[in-house]
Amino acid sequence: MSVIEYDVIVIGAGVAGLTAGAFLAGKGLKVALVTSGEPTACLSTGCIDVCAQAKNPLQGIENLPDEHPYHFVPPPMIHQALSDFQQIMTNRMLPYTGLLQENSLVLSAIGAFKTTCLLPVTMQASPKSDDEKIHIVTFAGLKDFYPGYIISRLKKSSFSTYDAGVSTTMGIAANFEKESFLEAFLLWMEKLGIREDKIAVPAVLGLESAPVILQKIENRLERPVFEIPTIPPSMPGRRLFNALKDHFRHQGGDIYWNWPVSGVEKTGRLIEAVITESPGAPNSINARAFLLASGSFVGGGLLALRRTIVEKIFDLPVFVPGQRETWFNQDYFSADHGIGRAGIAVDSSFRPADCRWDNIFVCGAILAHTEALKNGCGHGFAMATGQAAALSCLEYLQ
Amino acid sequence: MIKTDVVIIGGGATGCGIARDLALRGIPHCLIEKGDYAAGATGACHGLLHSGGRYAVSDPIAAKECYDENLILRRIGKKCVEPTGGLFVRLPGDSKMFRERFLRSCDDVGIPTEIISSTRALELAPNLNPELEEAVRVPDCSIDPFRLCMLNMRTSELKGGLSFTRHRVMEIIKSHGRCIGVKAVDMVTGESKEIHANLIINASGAWTNLVAGLAGCEVPMTLSKGSLVITNHRLTDMVINRLRPPSDGDIIVPNEAVCLAGTTSLTVEDPDKLFIQADEVDVIISEAGRMVPHFNQTRIIRAFSGVRPLLKSQKQDSREISRGFQIIDHQNGMFSIVGGKLTTFRLMAEKMVDTVMNTFNLKRACETAEKPLDGQEELSGYPLSKRLADMKNIVCECELVTRKTVEQIITKTGTRHVGDISHRTRLGMGPCQGGFCTFRALGIMHDKSILTADQSVQSLREFLQRRFRGIRSALWGDQLREEQLVEYIYLGILAMEKNP
Repeated sequence: MSVIEYDVIVIGAGVAGLTAGAFLAGKGLKVALVTSGEPTACLSTGCIDVCAQAKNPLQGIENLPDEHPYHFVPPPMIHQALSDFQQIMTNRMLPYTGLLQENSLVLSAIGAFKTTCLLPVTMQASPKSDDEKIHIVTFAGLKDFYPGYIISRLKKSSFSTYDAGVSTTMGIAANFEKESFLEAFLLWMEKLGIREDKIAVPAVLGLESAPVILQKIENRLERPVFEIPTIPPSMPGRRLFNALKDHFRHQGGDIYWNWPVSGVEKTGRLIEAVITESPGAPNSINARAFLLASGSFVGGGLLALRRTIVEKIFDLPVFVPGQRETWFNQDYFSADHGIGRAGIAVDSSFRPADCRWDNIFVCGAILAHTEALKNGCGHGFAMATGQAAALSCLEYLQ
Repeated sequence: MIKTDVVIIGGGATGCGIARDLALRGIPHCLIEKGDYAAGATGACHGLLHSGGRYAVSDPIAAKECYDENLILRRIGKKCVEPTGGLFVRLPGDSKMFRERFLRSCDDVGIPTEIISSTRALELAPNLNPELEEAVRVPDCSIDPFRLCMLNMRTSELKGGLSFTRHRVMEIIKSHGRCIGVKAVDMVTGESKEIHANLIINASGAWTNLVAGLAGCEVPMTLSKGSLVITNHRLTDMVINRLRPPSDGDIIVPNEAVCLAGTTSLTVEDPDKLFIQADEVDVIISEAGRMVPHFNQTRIIRAFSGVRPLLKSQKQDSREISRGFQIIDHQNGMFSIVGGKLTTFRLMAEKMVDTVMNTFNLKRACETAEKPLDGQEELSGYPLSKRLADMKNIVCECELVTRKTVEQIITKTGTRHVGDISHRTRLGMGPCQGGFCTFRALGIMHDKSILTADQSVQSLREFLQRRFRGIRSALWGDQLREEQLVEYIYLGILAMEKNP
């Protein structure tokens, strides 16, 4: 078994892990990130939900229940984390817009309005009300995009269908990266004689260069164009992930891709190493501190058993919200299910409560009492807690 | 107004069987069902075509009926019966005395049995508990209740029978004390229909007493709820029963790609208000896990329950009430048919239609046991290789249903209910339980102008709530993980609201 040495190991390649990892690497630490594969961020809309249940996200955070982990992040740090993010994305040619003082609306693929804080510039022109007149362009054979759902709400809208030769989200997005494909698409668009005020497309405008492609379409058709986030696979989610991953590497961090953690080595009150399953032989990766950002149930950080809930890497104590009968209430649409509170409870330094080890820090969706869906605490929460946990970790190492 | 000879209320196996029998004996009829075919207990059972073994000790008459019908259905319904064979397994601690009674009773009834060693049993069903003492082989089979109903209705349709699904009977029309017809309302459009007939047959299962009440009659019943769970995998290729007196969680039935395990038996009051408790699910899993240990780890994709419509009896435990059936003549032009089992539906229909023929003073013998079910030839010829070749048009990845198949069902049936598509294609019956494909199927229904955009969204909303009711009591492990993803997609990414 080979042994590799680091200052910090981050577990999980989602927004929390990548933010924390890049922050620490930027401070000159030797950081490794281990992941079992693509994070759930790739499935997301790419929008940055900070706290979506209030008009003003900061106000919303203040009103969250006392035990909510957001309260361990000082407000200036939330500002810092989000403005750092915007800077990173601007540098990576995927700028985000929006204000931390006021949430925005983004039109969803079912014709509802999703509340979020920062959004990819490709969604900036998204309508804000049912009254707007938009023309939706969809693609032949696309399985998960039905303009009819949107027209049920935006009744003054219409749609056309383009045959892109392929019918998968990824395939169409890859086509858009080609000059000739874009040109043919533009010619077809010009012939449609669109009268509506804005043009909507499902989020397939390129694998990486969406803002540039969108700009070209806007210039030719002389109308605002915007992307509508799709259900997975989601291009804006992948663009976000790729940009944060590249930034982390740029800061000097290493990524061990597809290396799920299978064991842990510990001595006294310290975790010494994680053992990972890797091609060939297991590897032990040593570090002085560990940052757990393995996500909630979907991300794979938590596992619900019939009578309890466990944390899969360190077997940390988990806050279990009552017996199984109470995990889900009857109303599907309430988003207010007990299970949303499950996770790792932490103290103000983002160390797990009642933990036997001193060098573990926890951030992101695995934190207890987050209620991510109910409170609309998404990537913004991941960034804020990622940076806060990373700062605690840095102080500990110094 | 529609005029016919016989109105059948209820599109479960019994009602559909009666429609087929009437069709073959040339009697005009009209079937009315408030949901889709097989919507009640028929579609909410374990899909076991009993050999009769399970009832041999306690109810030899029902056991004999089951065995006879088992032989008939295997012959006439090859496309909906899978001749899996079944085992009754005796585990350490299970009474040897019961084994003796079981073998003797099966022998008396005429059910063939074969005692096999644990080694041989493990060869036949490798996932069995290796500690089993021995097993008894019986001719149990699995049966697809949805398909069974559709095929029975096919005969009715070919012979000009009428049927209205998604129609609720609101009133039984009477004249001089006799039932002469029904008023039914189309649940989709709200339109009312009046159907007149010489006879009314109430085959509405758990709802029998409610329907009888419309004609001022009463059918005292015990409603016995049976809950079941569905696994993500086909853990066994044979039906597995526990060799002991009937109890909770002692049957496992393979069905297509999954297994069903059950059942419990709890008396309920209202067939429209069924809830599954977490402890019912736990009991089924741990009992099924004693026979097939994989049950303790496997992914459970849904729990559901159906209601056995049993005639009221003095017996305290509903398991002891006979599974035999009974035809009640209300002496006013209406008959109710209650009790029985999915396995004996054809026999129930035969006896019911014999009564109808007597009433009409007509003579024509029943042919349902001899003639193969109509429409079976249409069901062959769609092998996996063909479906995989068309992968990019697959709408339901779990059950490999293509867009074309969905469109065909829409065109053929004109349905406005996504559930009808599921019952006819298995769309949404796999691990995601429609989490991904229903959104698509409803999008297609809008594309085909069957539903307006608003109706599609509303149907999706209702579907999600209904689906959640089914999976809510089986959420842990990977199924919980998947459910959280689906919830994140609909409520997070799509920002769906309960009331827009």
